[in-house]
Amino acid sequence: MDNVTEDMRSKPPIPAQVIPFSFPSFEHFHLASGLEVYLASIDRGPLVSLHLACPAGAWHDSPKVAGRATLAAELLDEGTYDLTAMEIAARIDSLGGFLSSQADWNASWLSISLLSKHLEPGLDLLAQIVTGAAFPDAEVARLRQQRLANLQRRAAQPSSLAADALAGALYPGTAYGQPAMGTRDAVKALGRSELVDFYRQQFTPRGSVLILAGDLDLTAANRAIERGLGGWSGGQPLAAGSIQSRAQEETRVIIVDRPEAAQTALRIGHASIPRTHPEYVPLQVLNSLLGGKFTSRINLSLREELGITYGASSSFSPRLGPGPFQVAADVETDGVGIGTREIIRQLHRLQDESVDEVELQDTKTYLLGVFPYSLQRIDGLASRLADLGIASLPDDYFDQQLAVVRSLRPEAIQMLAKQHLHPTRLAVVAVGPADKLQPQLEGFGRISIVPPSEVLQAGLGPD
Amino acid sequence: MTAVTSARFPIERHTLDNGLRVVLQPDSSLPLVAVNLWYHVGSKNEVPGRTGLAHLFEHMLFQGSQYVGKNDHFRLVQQVGGVANGSTWFDRTNYYETLPAHCLSLGLWLESDRMGFFLPALDAEKLENQREVVMNERRQGVDNQPYGQAFERLNETLFPSGHPYRWPVIGYMDDIAAADLEDVEVFFRTFYTPDNAVLTLAGHFDPDQALKLVESYFGSIPRGGARPEVVASLPDEPLGQVVTLDDDVQLPRVYTAFRLPSFGEPEWYSADLLSAALSGGKTSPLYSQLVYERQIAQDVNAFVLPTELVSSFVVVTTGRPDTELAEVEEVVRDAIATVATGDLGRGDLDRARNKLITSYSDQLQALDDRADLLSMFTSYFDEPQRLESEIDRYLDKTPEDLATVARNRLTPDKAVSIRVVPR
Repeated sequence: MDNVTEDMRSKPPIPAQVIPFSFPSFEHFHLASGLEVYLASIDRGPLVSLHLACPAGAWHDSPKVAGRATLAAELLDEGTYDLTAMEIAARIDSLGGFLSSQADWNASWLSISLLSKHLEPGLDLLAQIVTGAAFPDAEVARLRQQRLANLQRRAAQPSSLAADALAGALYPGTAYGQPAMGTRDAVKALGRSELVDFYRQQFTPRGSVLILAGDLDLTAANRAIERGLGGWSGGQPLAAGSIQSRAQEETRVIIVDRPEAAQTALRIGHASIPRTHPEYVPLQVLNSLLGGKFTSRINLSLREELGITYGASSSFSPRLGPGPFQVAADVETDGVGIGTREIIRQLHRLQDESVDEVELQDTKTYLLGVFPYSLQRIDGLASRLADLGIASLPDDYFDQQLAVVRSLRPEAIQMLAKQHLHPTRLAVVAVGPADKLQPQLEGFGRISIVPPSEVLQAGLGPD
Repeated sequence: MTAVTSARFPIERHTLDNGLRVVLQPDSSLPLVAVNLWYHVGSKNEVPGRTGLAHLFEHMLFQGSQYVGKNDHFRLVQQVGGVANGSTWFDRTNYYETLPAHCLSLGLWLESDRMGFFLPALDAEKLENQREVVMNERRQGVDNQPYGQAFERLNETLFPSGHPYRWPVIGYMDDIAAADLEDVEVFFRTFYTPDNAVLTLAGHFDPDQALKLVESYFGSIPRGGARPEVVASLPDEPLGQVVTLDDDVQLPRVYTAFRLPSFGEPEWYSADLLSAALSGGKTSPLYSQLVYERQIAQDVNAFVLPTELVSSFVVVTTGRPDTELAEVEEVVRDAIATVATGDLGRGDLDRARNKLITSYSDQLQALDDRADLLSMFTSYFDEPQRLESEIDRYLDKTPEDLATVARNRLTPDKAVSIRVVPR
């Protein structure tokens, strides 16, 4: 081909023929014990990724035991009845593998990634850990101290302070009202027996999901699962307690005072829907257009027009309970008033005006187009399958929802905005110098100013 | 052209008449294509007083070019379902898009428009806006972050005045504020030329057709002139310095660094393996002693930077609230001394090597990561086939190789440490 002509140079090229894509095939079944299994054989090199998710998320922790799930999960691989912490570590290290053990809001996760030739010893180790965790006293004490130091570290971290203040404001007195890592008082009081009870109750095959993805021989995988986890048994795990957000009639402002801060961490949000809500995916389309991609309204406005931030984004959370909707930006302190006004204006605008057809179409093609991008790595595929298992979604969910995305109309977006955005009942959290922030935030709602040490209590005051 | 037949990844390498090097790595496992462009310019090509210019320039390259309006780069990529970004480092700046495969030509059109026709769209208003954005990026990543300035102090201590690794990639605030249109223009003319770039495509395409497309979009862009040599004199001076930094942090942390030979040298790989042996995994000497046994650290991480002029070996340890950092430093010193005497166990070496092999396989999974590695191996070594052979450089290392690095490079008189302590 010759060099492009001036005419070709001056306009974006016409795309070639679309190459069809469908979600990779996978097997999905239950063992007699109740354990749910997803297997996906996919060629991304000589690797496998193993994940076991148990119904032991931080949303199971009442405020009194905040931090229990995350601490229990971290302790899983710190000793079984047969192996010490260092023996477990030596096993995974000798396989050249990586083991992690941690909890998020929804579940506890035991994950191993390693070369596929080591699948069987990897799965055996995972099984040994989840069925035989011993919570040795010395390891409990060590990790508790480590956790307390990490909680202390958060007190100097603007993003942690902002997250905690928002959580405290939206969900006082519930599991979502404190950090998943817990609070100082709760963690100090957590004893071995509470952790062991939680482990016995929640780390059971019923309600757990096992995902194997990568370079898999399905027969060998099934055999390894049967050998390692076939004998795992247990009762019915407890459901998480109910999570109610604070009833709020108007917008409230919480300033976390950091007099010397070089910038302000701004978070604006309200409680919203759980992952299992039927409109979760349509709301992802709304969110993408509002603040979920670089070319979203909020990012273009705050970054490219106002120049007051490196980036601004919004999100609905994938929690099993009614998690937060929030807008987040680290903003130059002098721009916080303007930024807050603009964010709230954008929320109203979605309710008041129908979105432009082209803008919506661009957003839909963006989400449809980047979907395969998330499957480049076996861990990406595994996390999609985990999403199905944890939220009990059907096997054809992704194909189904991609069709829902394609069919969304501007009227539907406006309806969703009216129903699910609450621009007059927000929590506005600003972590920065109060003397500069207070004058800018007058007029948005009642202002409370708290020191960093009291972020969690900020939500407890009267409306 | 040279075609390299390899076990897993077919690779083609071409050079256009204007000097642009083109690497093609076809892979049809997903309907995607990664477009990855490396310019061999980074913060090391700046001069004192204009630090941060390479990074600010990267931002400007997303502000449009002759036929691409402001914000249109991201808009055009995202509206077809693609992702795009760029990043700046000491030695290079990269720009990349991962697109649905049928939109390959869009990526080439966007990249060629800004390589060939950037200056007509440059104006003061865009520069002003991006200066503000970058200053906020610096506040977010450095000035408003606990430990945010530690790395700056570390390099200011490790490298002498005037050395190009002495200043931070993002630049100092005053310098970011001072950059003007002429700086941006000169930077573009000097460094953003096809003969200073590598273009890699990885994904679902036909290599012959792709090469024709690349030629048609990039072939007419003229090659550049001479580029100024980077001056980097590094006297072999004794270091052994400790600097204390009071910061708004809750836990003390110490950064210890040593100079190393450049990325690509045999010794660099020994050092990289050594860093993995010291701190990778819970059974490693540093983790097991600091975090597990003595319980004086929250975390510890040793790593080696892949930099061109000279590299560095860094150990970062976060203490417990009441930890004396001197005690941490002593454990690190002793662990390195043990390696230096040849007493690192075979087991530690094998563990580190096995983990590196797994990590490297992991890194090769995604098209965009693979394309970036191909651009890197071609920019630095002119050897894209290192994509698969790079891991071999670790395979024949012995405890004695690691001991040699530890003895020659990692002794206390060659260390600099930054202790960050709570105010």
